[in-house]
Amino acid sequence: MILTGVLLAVLGLGLVGWFAARGRARLLYTGRGSMHSMPAYHGWHLALWIVVPALVAWLVWQAVMPGLVQGAVFATPAAHGLPTDPFQLGAIVAEAQTIASDPGAVAFNPEAQALVEPFRAAQVKFGLIGAVIVLIVAFAGGAFGFTRIRPNFKARTHVERLVLGVLLAASLLAILTTFGIVASLVFEAGMFFKDVSPIAFLTGTHWSPASTMGDNINNNFGAVPLFWGTIYIGAIIAMVVAIPLGLMSAIYLTQYATRDVRKWVKPLLEILAGIPTVVYGYFAALTVAPLIRDFAASLGMANPSTESALAAGLVMGVMIIPFVSSMADDALAAVPRAMSDGSLALGATRSETIKKVLLPAALPGIVAGVMLAISRAIGETMIVVMAAGAAANLSANPFASMTTVTYQIVQMLTGDQEFNSPKTLSAFALGLVLFIVTLILNIVALRVVKRFREAYE
Amino acid sequence: MSKSDWNSPEAVRRLAKRHAAEKRFKLVGLGAIVLSLGFLALLLVIMLKNGVAGLDWDFLSGSDSTDATTAGVWGAAKGSLLTMLVTLLLSFPMGVLAAIYLEEFAPKKKWIEWVEVSINNLAAVPSIIFGLLGLAVFINTFQMPRSSPLVGGLTLALMTMPVIVISGRNAIKAVPPSIREAAYGIGASKVQTTFHHVLPLALPGILTGTIIGMARALGETAPLLMIGMRAFVVTPPDSLTAPSSVLPMQIFLWSDEIDKAFVQNTSAAIIVLLVFLLAMNGIAIYLRNKFEVRW
Amino acid sequence: MTEAKITARNVDVFYGQKKAINDVSIDIDNGIVTAFIGPSGCGKSTFLRTLNRMNDTIAGARVDGQILLDGEDIYASTMDSVALRARVGMVFQKPNPFPKSIYENIAYGPRIHGLASAKSDMDRIVENALTKAGLWEEVKDRLTDAGTALSGGQQQRLCIARAIAVSPEVILMDEPCSALDPIATARIEELIDELKESFAIVIVTHSMQQAARVSQRTAFFHLGSMVEYGETDQIFTNPRETRTKDYITGRYG
Ligand SMILES: Nc1ncnc2c1ncn2[C@@H]1O[C@H](COP(=O)(O)OP(=O)(O)OP(=O)(O)O)[C@@H](O)[C@H]1O
Ligand SMILES: [Mg+2]
Repeated sequence: MILTGVLLAVLGLGLVGWFAARGRARLLYTGRGSMHSMPAYHGWHLALWIVVPALVAWLVWQAVMPGLVQGAVFATPAAHGLPTDPFQLGAIVAEAQTIASDPGAVAFNPEAQALVEPFRAAQVKFGLIGAVIVLIVAFAGGAFGFTRIRPNFKARTHVERLVLGVLLAASLLAILTTFGIVASLVFEAGMFFKDVSPIAFLTGTHWSPASTMGDNINNNFGAVPLFWGTIYIGAIIAMVVAIPLGLMSAIYLTQYATRDVRKWVKPLLEILAGIPTVVYGYFAALTVAPLIRDFAASLGMANPSTESALAAGLVMGVMIIPFVSSMADDALAAVPRAMSDGSLALGATRSETIKKVLLPAALPGIVAGVMLAISRAIGETMIVVMAAGAAANLSANPFASMTTVTYQIVQMLTGDQEFNSPKTLSAFALGLVLFIVTLILNIVALRVVKRFREAYE
Repeated sequence: MSKSDWNSPEAVRRLAKRHAAEKRFKLVGLGAIVLSLGFLALLLVIMLKNGVAGLDWDFLSGSDSTDATTAGVWGAAKGSLLTMLVTLLLSFPMGVLAAIYLEEFAPKKKWIEWVEVSINNLAAVPSIIFGLLGLAVFINTFQMPRSSPLVGGLTLALMTMPVIVISGRNAIKAVPPSIREAAYGIGASKVQTTFHHVLPLALPGILTGTIIGMARALGETAPLLMIGMRAFVVTPPDSLTAPSSVLPMQIFLWSDEIDKAFVQNTSAAIIVLLVFLLAMNGIAIYLRNKFEVRW
Repeated sequence: MTEAKITARNVDVFYGQKKAINDVSIDIDNGIVTAFIGPSGCGKSTFLRTLNRMNDTIAGARVDGQILLDGEDIYASTMDSVALRARVGMVFQKPNPFPKSIYENIAYGPRIHGLASAKSDMDRIVENALTKAGLWEEVKDRLTDAGTALSGGQQQRLCIARAIAVSPEVILMDEPCSALDPIATARIEELIDELKESFAIVIVTHSMQQAARVSQRTAFFHLGSMVEYGETDQIFTNPRETRTKDYITGRYG
């Protein structure tokens, strides 16, 4: 409470400092060229000197205060006779702490109730100390900054240097995220591979992580059926739908449609890409899957399952159409007009020009687009969770229920999970495989696209 | 070949065949578009048919319940709002600042290339991987509250930031060098030029990209499943750390219910979500058309 | 004098609302080279492209008036633009070989028009076309190399060979030498001189010297109109119009 107020006070001080420094700088300003920086920059400079160190002090205090408070509470007489078992002690302290900050709550544990008052007192005391420290730092920073206001002081340079530092930090967040992904996946997957051999995981064909049967745990974590399901649904069925439809749509829109048609149809197609995957999943489960099951039954299949690779793959393919179409659109647009002019001038029809000249010329771009589409399809989760099924089947029958890597990740990490059991950790191992595969697809595809663009520039 | 050869019956037949092939090809293209849009129409019609009857005030203002007739969508919607708030507050400034740095200030060094590869790749990493990151870092390591808008927002922010960086860079790149030269010409520093001249001109483009990124985040389910945002929320969450759900998660949870009555709820919730998304995309398109400047 | 190969009467061309060619009438004869000259943007390319209906490929372009090829209206509904373009070939300003092998670049046209029934026919057509374009000796050992791997001048001769391969009656050339160095230009000019025996040739050029060197007739365009048309010698030595005179003496460009 007190500390929040202090934060506002510091910001207020910063504002005051801004005006004060600008006013002071204005007094020093005697005319054109008399100062290095405009008065406003002196304002910013001082404001930063007030706010930034105080903010740092505030953060440090936020971090150390709970320890100090707890120490003080344990030193009071009320804390005598508390249980020594760390688990019980922790529960009591936590409860007391909650009540101390929330006047409405009632204690369940009398020992906790006894601690509430000492807690409140300690919090107020250390809060006040913290506030004073933060304010002192703010004033000290301000005073130092204020003394630097001189005509030849390069306030602007200092402020801009800080701005640049902030910009740089923001860009590094991307690297940090990548690093975080790699580190957490590798770490958790490493724990998994302590129990299960990587070879067995990557080459085994039996997947039943829940089963406790058999003494060799390696036999239960063969992920090949998962990889197959992922490839079959995402890279085969979905692409059989998405490539022809997406490519032909792009061809029609770029080569045949009038400008008005293009203007309306393109955004409509893009809506397909904007629909959340959970909606597709629901649609697949509610409408498409039963249709496919009935179709399978009419083909004479016994007991076709509602969940099928075909239902998930079909719907996923539709979701990918606009993606393929916009990549193909870009690739076709990158082929210089002179190319098709040359063919048309020889008396080729449009379709001959497209098939024999444009598509071959655009091929690298289109292939890269398909790679990105596959990367997106195999990482897609909700559609397969809702329509593909949990059975780890190693089958080429599109009407069979099939499971995927993403499905199993969800399966392993929702519901009752035992922390750090091989079952839970296997999700991270699967995630690692998925990350590596999509990373390779993405990087290769982006390279190809870049080369392709440069070739025609 | 002379003029008369083109009139020989054989040549005429050949030409007719080529023109027929041309027509067929064009029809196939048209067919592909009609099929794709037909699927979109089918999806929307089915959702409307199933859900529109369920869209009443009780549904829009209620929260989750085990009884399909009293279950509503507001609890999840509020969770979505809180989550999006966290996502926006983090990913927008970070994304824009990173875009500015990479486009205007970054030295041509090897490590900058790494940042660029990293960003381009993050934009294409499956969303579920971000969920694993959120689970491992925010929940398991930092012990943040499971199932909360705070963790959900953080996770989605990491996912959205690359999208904003990429669109931001394109918008900044589109500002012609002449603007920068003009600013340098009157003695502005590089930082001044960027923040006073380049950024305002690039802002519509950046905002468009941001809205599109946010729309994508709003529809995400998979990463939030990883961080356990599937709480059964009977009262709307009232803080960033309270257990909550989000709209797409609510759809997912209801779609799993055995009770057939939930079909209507699921479809109605889908309509609500789609209306939000369409509105956001509409705003993005409007912004793009209104402020798009052709240099 | 025999009937002209191409007869254009009162031709207007519009790009949307904008009129780019205004009331042009011209007769183009067989067996000679006709040059179009004029300042940039005056509509030379636009008019040239009406002669094989390449303007059809530009959205919003419209042609009024009449253009006859051997007395046949090329804009008549019975005229097939595909067959027309096989009869009236075109070579562009920048060499634009297809991203295929040298052989496939030449074979492309004959193949789509069904001009060769056997592989040996096709080989002969390719050799003929390359020989006529003066490229055979240079490429006969590397017909499978990419067309784009040739030098700029070779690429342009490849494009000319590509046009020749479908045995057109007229070849339109839009500034075919503007992307080439003087030596490559001289080769192409020689080539044009030889080709005029077999084809009617129309060439757009910015180089007065080139027009004087290769053409027998010259048309001067200005602001979408044809100002003067006559024997090349007469146009360059004794222009009737002052605007023509100003242009060829370099008074404006
Ligand atoms: N595709 C088009 N759409 C609209 N206007 C065009 C188009 N192509 C040409 N124009 C316009 O038509 C006029 C004539 O252009 P054209 O290309 O025929 O000139 P040109 O004489 O060939 O010039 P240059 O010598 O520079 O090649 C110009 O004003 C040009 O701007
Ligand atoms: Mg021209």
